[in-house]
Amino acid sequence: MDPLILSFAVVNGLLIGGIYGGVALGLSLIFGVLRVVNFAHGSLLMLALYAAYWLQIWAGIDPYYSIIVTVPLLFGIGFMIQSVIIAPLIRRESALVVEPLSALLLTAGVYLVIDNLALMAFGPNVRSATTSFALPPVMLGQIPVNMPRLIGFGAAIVVAVGLAWWLKTTRMGRAIRAVASNRDAAALSGINVPLVYAVTFGIGASILGLFGSLLATFVPITPQVGLNFGIRSFIVVVLGGIGSLPGSIVGGLVIGVFEAIASQFVPATSAAILSLGLFVLILLVRPSGLMGKA
Amino acid sequence: MTAPLLEVRNLSKTFGGLKAVSEVSFTMNKGEILALLGPNGAGKTTAFNMIAGFLQPTEGQILFEGRDITGGKPWDLCREGIARTFQLSRPFSDLTVLENLMVGGFARSSDIGLIRSRAAEIAEFLGMGRQIDIEVQHLTAFDRRKLELGRALSTRPTLLLMDEVVAGATPAEAQEMVALVRKIRDTGVSILIVEHVMKVIMALSERVIVMESGRLIADGKPHDVVAQPDVLKAYFGEQYVATRA
Amino acid sequence: MSVAPHTTSAAPAAKSKSRVLPLALFTAVLLGIPLVVKDSFFIHSCIVVLFFAYMATSWNFVCGYVGQLSIGHSMFAGAGGYATVLLFTQTGLSPWLGLPVGGLVAALLSVLVGYPTFRLKGPYFALTTIAFAEMIRIWVENTDTFLGIPLNGAAGITVPLLGQNVAAMQFNDKVPYYYIIATMLGGALLATWLLENAKLGFYLKAIRGDVDAAESLGISPSRYQLIALAISAFMTGMGGGFYAQFYRYVNAERLIGVDLSIDMALMSIIGGQGTIFGPLLGALLLAPLAEITRSHLGGSLLGLHIVVYGVILILAVLYLPKGLIDPLRRLAAKFNGRGTGR
Repeated sequence: MDPLILSFAVVNGLLIGGIYGGVALGLSLIFGVLRVVNFAHGSLLMLALYAAYWLQIWAGIDPYYSIIVTVPLLFGIGFMIQSVIIAPLIRRESALVVEPLSALLLTAGVYLVIDNLALMAFGPNVRSATTSFALPPVMLGQIPVNMPRLIGFGAAIVVAVGLAWWLKTTRMGRAIRAVASNRDAAALSGINVPLVYAVTFGIGASILGLFGSLLATFVPITPQVGLNFGIRSFIVVVLGGIGSLPGSIVGGLVIGVFEAIASQFVPATSAAILSLGLFVLILLVRPSGLMGKA
Repeated sequence: MTAPLLEVRNLSKTFGGLKAVSEVSFTMNKGEILALLGPNGAGKTTAFNMIAGFLQPTEGQILFEGRDITGGKPWDLCREGIARTFQLSRPFSDLTVLENLMVGGFARSSDIGLIRSRAAEIAEFLGMGRQIDIEVQHLTAFDRRKLELGRALSTRPTLLLMDEVVAGATPAEAQEMVALVRKIRDTGVSILIVEHVMKVIMALSERVIVMESGRLIADGKPHDVVAQPDVLKAYFGEQYVATRA
Repeated sequence: MSVAPHTTSAAPAAKSKSRVLPLALFTAVLLGIPLVVKDSFFIHSCIVVLFFAYMATSWNFVCGYVGQLSIGHSMFAGAGGYATVLLFTQTGLSPWLGLPVGGLVAALLSVLVGYPTFRLKGPYFALTTIAFAEMIRIWVENTDTFLGIPLNGAAGITVPLLGQNVAAMQFNDKVPYYYIIATMLGGALLATWLLENAKLGFYLKAIRGDVDAAESLGISPSRYQLIALAISAFMTGMGGGFYAQFYRYVNAERLIGVDLSIDMALMSIIGGQGTIFGPLLGALLLAPLAEITRSHLGGSLLGLHIVVYGVILILAVLYLPKGLIDPLRRLAAKFNGRGTGR
């Protein structure tokens, strides 16, 4: 194997992996706080991709500027999903504990509705947005580094660090962490748990708003694109440790590099099978993930 | 000489360097009600769970009717004749009382008619004969506790392991429970009880063993054992013993 | 467990009496449809509905009773479907034997997958079943031949058309297929009824209720879950075999893809999992919806029925967690004048 090609694969794998990690952040956050596995995670990314696309088509807004719209838009959608669809389930369970399987079924319902509404509204055609910014690759030694991917990678790191900082220092952040560690105690000490849940879900979704805009220029936009990212996010989160933000990034990097290198030796589809195999293996052997506590 | 019903030899359990149970040995005879006492964290529940097959011992042996059952799985031990209750009652809440009492019957018989009538008998025995068609989630906490006991009986055990008898019960309920446990013993079932409440033990058991910090510190008749300084110290602390002395 | 028995001895009789009439009526309608309606398109739709009812009932056999959510049951349909077709095209084995053999292949696969997977609970179990099914789907889609067996990749395998040929389970008319799947459905319902009244059924419900308590009552959870899964996979595999014969075609996307798994789970859950007739009810309500959208709307409304599925699923989880059959059973209980207050 040519070392240049291999190092090119590794660099690309790192970039894509960072993006996987960034996309998975919201899934991990929502699970960590609400104990809800959001099956509609990928669908929300798909909505964000379409939002970025249509903002460009209708209003001529460059995908990189459309962040101003997609982030609050997805926050709103996430907030609504939690407070309209999942909250009644939590209200039904007296102890504020969500029955995890029921919550999974609810979000699976959301996935079915969103993905198929998108299919009906937008059709199966593959679309993509374009940016007016000139983003030539930068050279890392002899290796060209794709600029839009590098921006996505950087965004993932910034969001992970920023989110961790926000959770540590702000009033709402501390409330979220309190609810995550012991929701009953948090409720007793006067924290508005339903609001914290809705905000958490909103934040998790708004991260997807950001990535929808950042990925719209190089990810083929179809109604089915969500499920691919959704499944990959599950893999990343399980690998990194469910509920851990740094774990999400690390898990993404591992999967990204793993797939990039594997696809140098085996067909890309076999690499996908290997990722799924890794996912199953981690769940069976070390359910706390690579970064979680054993 | 016949072997004792249950013989525990040098039973130990280590959790990541911490010795929760340390070289505990005791025997239990047929027809006995034996109580295992000890303050919180003494290792009672750990020892209990090893005997019930829910935890693997790190060291030691457990013999039941002379047979080595160390490390046996709960379902195997059930077939050997060992049944257990849980500290927090864990009934199958979407099944009826009768159905709850039927599940264990399949370990002894494959005749569903017989299993059903035996389950109904147990319900009568518990004083729950009128409640057999009620889904368990609609029962009171105390009825659920009784049901838990009945469910263990449905496996026709020789040895019944009870993890606390009267937890959360009112005095009247506790009395009813004590009477029920005696009634069970009178049918020929030997009973090992883990319990905090001294009064219950005094009323129920002929012999008690006491654990503290993972070790067995006393073995004898209830009144003798509670008078031992070691036991008092374990239960009430150093000062209590000093002031009494 | 709808109508609770008052006295233990009279229980089975009372239970069956309240069910015999509606059951006989349903059977008569089911068997009579092809005699009355001659429209082959309508019969085709009925076959599809019965197929989903059968698949949902098969899914329910393990998942509904043990309380685990499998979203990977399509792998068993795929195993059965591919095995039936390949045995026919490669060795000439008649599908009449190919179906049960395919079922056995699926059962074998289920034991391999289930053994490690049943240790996981809730969402982890669900995600792992998806992962297994997806691995198999991706593999089949990208494998043309495996150990000399032509899997034919994403294109799938077509069963050669022989015209009217009873031995090859090929008929010019749709009606025979109708009766085959109706019989299979009857068998699956009978199996579930037997399960409800057998040790295995009690054991599965106990495991669903509390694993530790079940263990203490002499139940090895992994053993009985695997037995139930193998039976469920056997039935699902036979369903896959039927699908292959009916369409004379198998491909990975449709037979192993996650959509089929979701349909099976959805219909059971919405209808009422862990009951004999819940999945049937769910399929009778949902599957026609898909047929109508496919045949009458199509085009831009392609995914409409799934949107409706999703909405019904959300409403069911929130307001009828025991499924649509629950209010019906309470109604029936009232009708029989034996409201037991539960």
